[in-house]
Amino acid sequence: MPRRFAGQVHKQASRFLRSNLLKEEPAWYQAVLENPPLPLPPRAPANRSRYDVPRHIASSSADPTISSSISRRPLPVSYLEDTLRRQFFKDHPFEAFRPVSLVEAGRIQDEHPIRGKQWKRLRQRGINPSAEDTIRYAATLHEHHKYPLTQAYSAAVAQFRSLRAERDIATNTARLEAEVIGIPFGPTLVEQTFALEEKQLDTWEKKDELDASALAARKRWKAIIEKEYDTGTWSRGKQYVRLWKEGVRPDYMPVLKEPVITSAGLETNDAQKAADDLAREKMHRQQVASSVDFMNIKQNA
Amino acid sequence: MSSSLLRQSLASAAHRSKTGHRVGRLGQQLRCLNTAETSGEPLQTQEDWAAFQTQRAAQKTLVDHMSQYGSTQTRENAWQPHHSLHRPLHPQEASLSALLASGAHMGHSQKLMNPNFMPYAYGVRAGITIIDLDHTLPLLRRAAKVVRSVAARGGSVVFVGTRPDLRTAVRKAAQRMGSQGYHVGERWLPGTLTNKLQMFGSDVVRTEQVIPDLVVFLNPIPNLHAIRECAIDNVPTIGVIDSNADPRIVMYPIPANDESTRTGQLIAGVLSLAGREGVAIREQELVLAREQEEKRQKARNARETQRAAEQSDP
Repeated sequence: MPRRFAGQVHKQASRFLRSNLLKEEPAWYQAVLENPPLPLPPRAPANRSRYDVPRHIASSSADPTISSSISRRPLPVSYLEDTLRRQFFKDHPFEAFRPVSLVEAGRIQDEHPIRGKQWKRLRQRGINPSAEDTIRYAATLHEHHKYPLTQAYSAAVAQFRSLRAERDIATNTARLEAEVIGIPFGPTLVEQTFALEEKQLDTWEKKDELDASALAARKRWKAIIEKEYDTGTWSRGKQYVRLWKEGVRPDYMPVLKEPVITSAGLETNDAQKAADDLAREKMHRQQVASSVDFMNIKQNA
Repeated sequence: MSSSLLRQSLASAAHRSKTGHRVGRLGQQLRCLNTAETSGEPLQTQEDWAAFQTQRAAQKTLVDHMSQYGSTQTRENAWQPHHSLHRPLHPQEASLSALLASGAHMGHSQKLMNPNFMPYAYGVRAGITIIDLDHTLPLLRRAAKVVRSVAARGGSVVFVGTRPDLRTAVRKAAQRMGSQGYHVGERWLPGTLTNKLQMFGSDVVRTEQVIPDLVVFLNPIPNLHAIRECAIDNVPTIGVIDSNADPRIVMYPIPANDESTRTGQLIAGVLSLAGREGVAIREQELVLAREQEEKRQKARNARETQRAAEQSDP
């Protein structure tokens, strides 16, 4: 089988058509000829601007005639904001705990209309700046307002802290006012968690069943047959035949002919009463068992 | 904007019980000036007219001032997650923004990058290869053109997406192309093209066309056998090539993220819409051809009747 290349399928088809191995043009032939497949571009990393290439690579004056200086791998994508982000989250570790919406949309969000030279104060983008807004502001100060990077960072973070402080104070004051007025707030997250824990601990409690009938219904009843084994004589089947002729049907479980309510099923737990009941039951069972003896439990005359 | 007029209009708004929620022709919320309850009495004096004018001016100020706030989002113009599957984009609507939002730029780990993928790799970030969408967009449009042309010539297109999340996307893509669209959502049976006599039987192979005219792969790496079969049987292929794949395995590579469901749905949607257009072009051409044939038939019949009439009356 000769080697087949996906990118040369149309050339192979034209060869087949020329040599009459294919009788008629396939339906895709003209379509592919009108839109021929493009060859793979030269294997070199993409041309990148200084915007997102790390500064140490962008500034390096590499001589392309030296093969070791040629980059054969795609370059890293890194922004000025990355250094600012690193410093910001070192200084404000709990900002990383603020929830961020991951809701997807059909398009990416446009940047805020206030940007570049127009953006002079962090407050212009709202009263509740996020970490990302602060970092963008610091980068803007550095790029468009000619602040040195450290000072840009300090200015941005100072404004961020003031706005956060204002918001925290306002929120706390509003909460206190609401509490004083008497607005009912629901349980806090901590209280909700405690409630869940209590609920879970309650499942460990052993509760005595009060409903005896429910207990009795659930109980797996089993027959307790007290057998008194006597080695009877072997009647050579004569007893069996006799009973059969007389029309006495065999009853192998004479104990269960009538239901017997024992003291265990009753509510009162008198020990003495229980013992008396047991004795009575035993006697009754013995009487029933001794009435007809099919299995030769007792010797029969 | 004058604040006194605004205060006036706000005061009057507070007294008004109803605000007119007008709905426009296209279903969007309209902000109308004449939402207030008119008294119904015709204006008589000059003072009446002045009062009417000031009221209208106050309303206009209120509407103009408040229009910059508030949301214009409705259920119709808000994007919902099912739109990427049920409302595909036209090839001209597919933009860099849409591709980025679907996560098409995220490739695999930089260590796993295929060396032949280098021209389509923008860079490396967070340990993964970032795919250059400036290459992706024109290649996607080119693939759409191919699908449209193949469909316009009556060719059959097969959409292959053998992952559970791509199954519905390829099914819908095939449905959009009607009788010319097919899909493989479960597994490409090896030997579908190379062992067709066994697969389909000699009668089917003789009477019907078993080899497709174009195959679109949404996840080419698990379907390399299928790609090879297409190359053997001279079938052009389109494929979504991720950074760990060689772009030359298919005829028309679309460098994009093959793991993202949204990206697969977007690309399948774009290509199937182009295919639907091609199918419509084909239907039109067939209708035209039929009409022309009928006209020619009528002309022939007319000529024959004329000749017969001439022969009968010499």
